[in-house]
Amino acid sequence: MTALFLILALFAFLFVGVPVAVSLGLASLTTMLFFADQSLLSLSQKFFHTTQVYPLLALPFFILAGSFMTTGGVAKRMVDFANALVGHFRGGLAIASLLACAFFSAVSGSAPATVVAVGSVMIVGMINSGYSKSFAAGVICNGGTLGILIPPSIVMVVYGAVTETSIGQLFMAGLIPGLVMTAALIATVMVIARVQNLPSKPSAGIKVMLSTGREAVWGMLLIVIILGGIYMGIFTPTEAAAVSAVYAFLIAVFVYRDITLKDVPSVLVDSAKVTVMLMFIIANAYMFAFVLTTEQIPQAASEWIVGMGLPPWGFLLVLNLLLLAAGNFMEPTSVVLILTPIIFPIAMEMGIDPVHLGILMVVNMQIGLVTPPVGLNLFVTAGVAKMSMEEVIRAALPWLLVLLSVLMVITYIPSISLILPEMMGMR
Amino acid sequence: MKSALRVKPLVDRLEEGILALLLAFMTLITFVQVVLRYVFNSGLVWSLEATTYSFAWLLLIGISYGVRVKAHIAVDIVTNRLPKNTQRVFALLATALCLLYAGLMFYGSFVLIDRMYMLGNFARDIALPKWLLTGIMPVGFALLAFRFFQVGLLIFKGENIGPADEETLLGVESSSNLIDKEEGSK
Repeated sequence: MTALFLILALFAFLFVGVPVAVSLGLASLTTMLFFADQSLLSLSQKFFHTTQVYPLLALPFFILAGSFMTTGGVAKRMVDFANALVGHFRGGLAIASLLACAFFSAVSGSAPATVVAVGSVMIVGMINSGYSKSFAAGVICNGGTLGILIPPSIVMVVYGAVTETSIGQLFMAGLIPGLVMTAALIATVMVIARVQNLPSKPSAGIKVMLSTGREAVWGMLLIVIILGGIYMGIFTPTEAAAVSAVYAFLIAVFVYRDITLKDVPSVLVDSAKVTVMLMFIIANAYMFAFVLTTEQIPQAASEWIVGMGLPPWGFLLVLNLLLLAAGNFMEPTSVVLILTPIIFPIAMEMGIDPVHLGILMVVNMQIGLVTPPVGLNLFVTAGVAKMSMEEVIRAALPWLLVLLSVLMVITYIPSISLILPEMMGMR
Repeated sequence: MKSALRVKPLVDRLEEGILALLLAFMTLITFVQVVLRYVFNSGLVWSLEATTYSFAWLLLIGISYGVRVKAHIAVDIVTNRLPKNTQRVFALLATALCLLYAGLMFYGSFVLIDRMYMLGNFARDIALPKWLLTGIMPVGFALLAFRFFQVGLLIFKGENIGPADEETLLGVESSSNLIDKEEGSK
């Protein structure tokens, strides 16, 4: 009864158009008022407590680092480097776009930001070189989803904080699936390039490769600092995030000189805005999870599912379907926050590895980013490519096959995600 | 985007200034802590607590600012398909619910602060009472209620409050903005 009210209230509020954060909070507050003897005091305590959760502190820092990297011309340099590396293949510009998306994902934890950073340079470039508009948009829209799979990743930080899973391990675990996804997308482009006889550019030569590489290396060092630092135990993920933010600031202002000190306050305000938007959802989701657990809803759901005698592979399939469906309607962080408190205990009961589950959720969320009606990457691509939503949806749809196949592979071969953290001796 | 070029009222700039300062402070203090640990083999005891409380202040001052700049995401696939008049009714209803939320949270946090005040505990590493550091919470929700009230009033008067600005809510506004600026200056 309580569970039903909580869920119905949440959907009713969302339906009316109440912001996601407020819907979560108000559903929790009203449920508490009507059904439980918990006071409003304990809920507000929960809200405030969210800001004292140490791993979540990584969010504002990673967002800030990403902002400096996006605002400066880091993406442009990565695009140049990618072009020099693979431009001479058939369909080279498209392959370079995907490579640049992968590079940029390693400095940014957000998928839409990756679309903007790479797309604003590459979509026009591809169209001018004779690629069709929808092909160019499809490549960027899907390549951009790498932003949340290749570390650092905001979705992983949130998942790690909520489930108390090691964020360092999640980052490591995301690396190989990220490369697999990039490879799958590139392979698809290569096949299409053969069939459609897409253009290639003359080889750039070793010299250009080296010089563009030297330019781009400052940006790409960031992921080395993050992963290396966490792996060697020099700092926690949260500290790694703060170091990245300071590093990104120094690179953008003093090495690349793309932004001046005068621009810094507006970068700070923008990052603060995004941080607040995310944290407001997270804090309310913590209240929501608090109500769920005090009402023992996850336990009940867990008993129910386990009682159905579903084998783990069947559960994973159902899980994927549920996540894909949810990802269609909400943005990644909200989905992870709302579903994790229920899914996580069930998955643990089924013997699924928490790190593997995290990667699984991230890949599902990637697909949610490119499926209507609420695919953030679709909106952003439409903006960057100056296309209508319908056009972008049609352009992105065929690529779904690639993403779904990779999802299946990652779902049923856990070692793709787990081998790196295991080899590193992190587990 | 053009609104950014207009001269902003003092209060707005104050809001943005505080947010920027808090974020810069948090980042620097965490960074300095790492440097101190490795280079000077020492540390600041109060740094962690100062960072988390700054984070709390950032959030609580930021949420009402977020309402003003339309940064909070809502699911609008349903409401977008409704006829204009119904849309307005829904928007008013949604705003009323938001006000209810802000009111309940204000009350809850006020009781919390009151309890803290009675207990009179101090923060672990900062020489300030807990109630003062947490006291931003009822203030933040009061501001939030005020902003929601403003929005409700605008909708009631029939002004069109669109959904959250797509680009703002994606957190990519800064980049596309600067790209525009760069192109403009060339």
